[in-house]
Amino acid sequence: MATQEYARNKEGSNISKIVVDRDLCIGAASCIAVSGETWELDNENKAVVVSAGAGANAADDATLLMSAESCPTKAILLFDKEGKQVFPK
Amino acid sequence: MQPYKYLIIGGGAAGTTTAETLRQTDKEGSIAIVSDEPRYYSRIMLSKPNFFLGKIPFDSVWLRQKEWYTENKIDFIEGVLATKLDTKSKSVTLSGGPDASVGTGKILQYEKLLLATGGEARQWPITGADKKGICYVRDLSQVNELIENIKTSKQAIAVGSGFVGFEMCEMMKLAGLEVTMVMREPYFWYPLLDIESAKMIENALEKEGVKILREAEVSEILGNERIEGVIVKGTQPSHEATAGQAKIDCQLAIIGIGLICNLDWIKEAGIETNKGILANEYLETNIPDIYTAGDVAEFTDLILGEKVQLGNWVNAQMQGRTVANNMLGNRKPFKMVSFYTAIGFGLNIAMSGDVRVKPEYKIIKRGSPEINSFARIIVDEKDEIIGATFINRSKDMATINKLIESNFKVSGHESELSDPNFDLKSLSSHPQ
Repeated sequence: MATQEYARNKEGSNISKIVVDRDLCIGAASCIAVSGETWELDNENKAVVVSAGAGANAADDATLLMSAESCPTKAILLFDKEGKQVFPK
Repeated sequence: MQPYKYLIIGGGAAGTTTAETLRQTDKEGSIAIVSDEPRYYSRIMLSKPNFFLGKIPFDSVWLRQKEWYTENKIDFIEGVLATKLDTKSKSVTLSGGPDASVGTGKILQYEKLLLATGGEARQWPITGADKKGICYVRDLSQVNELIENIKTSKQAIAVGSGFVGFEMCEMMKLAGLEVTMVMREPYFWYPLLDIESAKMIENALEKEGVKILREAEVSEILGNERIEGVIVKGTQPSHEATAGQAKIDCQLAIIGIGLICNLDWIKEAGIETNKGILANEYLETNIPDIYTAGDVAEFTDLILGEKVQLGNWVNAQMQGRTVANNMLGNRKPFKMVSFYTAIGFGLNIAMSGDVRVKPEYKIIKRGSPEINSFARIIVDEKDEIIGATFINRSKDMATINKLIESNFKVSGHESELSDPNFDLKSLSSHPQ
C-alpha cells in the first residue's frame, strides 16, 4: 500500500484529511518530534497516525502543518475540506 | 544600509526553520539567510536509494521553492560565504562562495545573529585521497559527483561504519556494485551498539553480499588519476581477515568518517568554540545577540547533562525553533531527547538518548535477535532510562523518549519493559 489516509474532523480545523506516502516515508521521525500526539512509527518504521488514526484530531492546524513541513521527504500530505492539497504546496 | 533585524548564516535545516519561525511571529522584521548553497534542500534524501537511483525526481530534494523566500520577505543571499565577524560593530563580511564571485567584501549588519554553519564531511586523511572516484555524501555537488561515479564503477568500498556507510552500502548494492566495507572497529557501530545488535546489521549486510573487513584500514590507494584499488591492513596484530594486508579492486570509495566544522572566522571573532560553537541550553554563545543551532552547535544538553554536538536533521530543526523563539524574547531552553534513525537492508535502526553504557548501568533487553526485533533499554544508577537502541523496534522509540524525558523510575517495571508484546504507552501515561 503506497498511501495511508486518515480522516480529520476536528472542530474549527481547515484540514480534513491527512495522507502518508509510505514509499516516501523513511522513518526519520521528525514529525514525531514536532507532534508526538499525532504521529508514531509502525512495525515497518513508517509514520502512522497514533492509535490507528485516533490521533488525527489531536493537534491544532499549525502544529499539524509544522509536522508535515518538518518531513525531509515530504511524505505527509494535508488536504482541506474541498479536497484541495494544502501541503506540500 | 539598515542592519538586518535577524541575520542567519547557513541555509540548512536549522537556519531555514529559524527564519520560518521568526516570520510566523515577527511579520515585518528584516531577515536574511546567507548560504553557500542554492537553497534549502533535504540533506537526508541525499543518502536514500530512491533518490540516488532516480526513482523519485531530482527536484523533490528541494524543500522550499524559490518563491517561498520572497513570499516570506526573507533575503536569501546564495553562493557566498561569511568570512569575518565583528561583534563590536555587529557586522559580517562576505566573500564569493564556490559558485559565485558576487558578494566579496560586502558587509551585512545585524541586530541578532544566528550561526548555523553546519559541517563538512571529514576528508579521508590518506595519500592519494584526491583521486577521482573517492566520494563523500554531504552536499548536493558531492552527491552529483557520486551518482556519476556509480555509473562507471563495478566494485566499491565504503569506509566508516556509521549511518552514511550503512546507507551507502545498500544504495551501492541496489545499483549492482560489488561492495566491501572497511571499518576500524571490531563490529558495526562500535561502541554505540552491542555486539548482538551489530550482528543483526552485519548479517543483513552479508546476506546481501556486502563483504565486511573489521579492525581494518586502508593503507594505500592504488591508481593514477582515478582510484583502481586499495591496500587494506589489519589494525590488530592477529587480524584474520586481511592476514597482514590485502588488495581490493575498486573504482569507487565512499567515505563516511564524520563531520568537521570550519570555525576559524568564528574563533577569530572571540566566540568560544571546541569542535563546534559552544552554547548554553538557550543556544546562546558567549557573545550577546549571537546564537547557534544545528550540526555546528555544541550546546548544553539538559537531558544528558553535558555539552554535546549532534549532526542530526531533527535536532537542527527543533533547535531552529528554539533559537527563533529566544531571538523573539520568548526565552526557553532547548530540551529534547535526541535520536537517530536509519533504514536499509530490510532493517530499521534507531538510537535515542545516551547510548554510551557505563559499567554501573543496567540493560533491559526487549525482544531478541532471534525474533529479528531487538531493543536495549539503558538504565542508569538512578534507576532512570537514559538511552536505548532499537533494531526493527522503532515503534517503541517515541514512548521510550517520553520515559527518558520524564525521569521514569524503572524498578517494578522490568518485566513490562522486557516483554516485547507489552504496550509501553501505558507506562508513559502512568503517573509515578
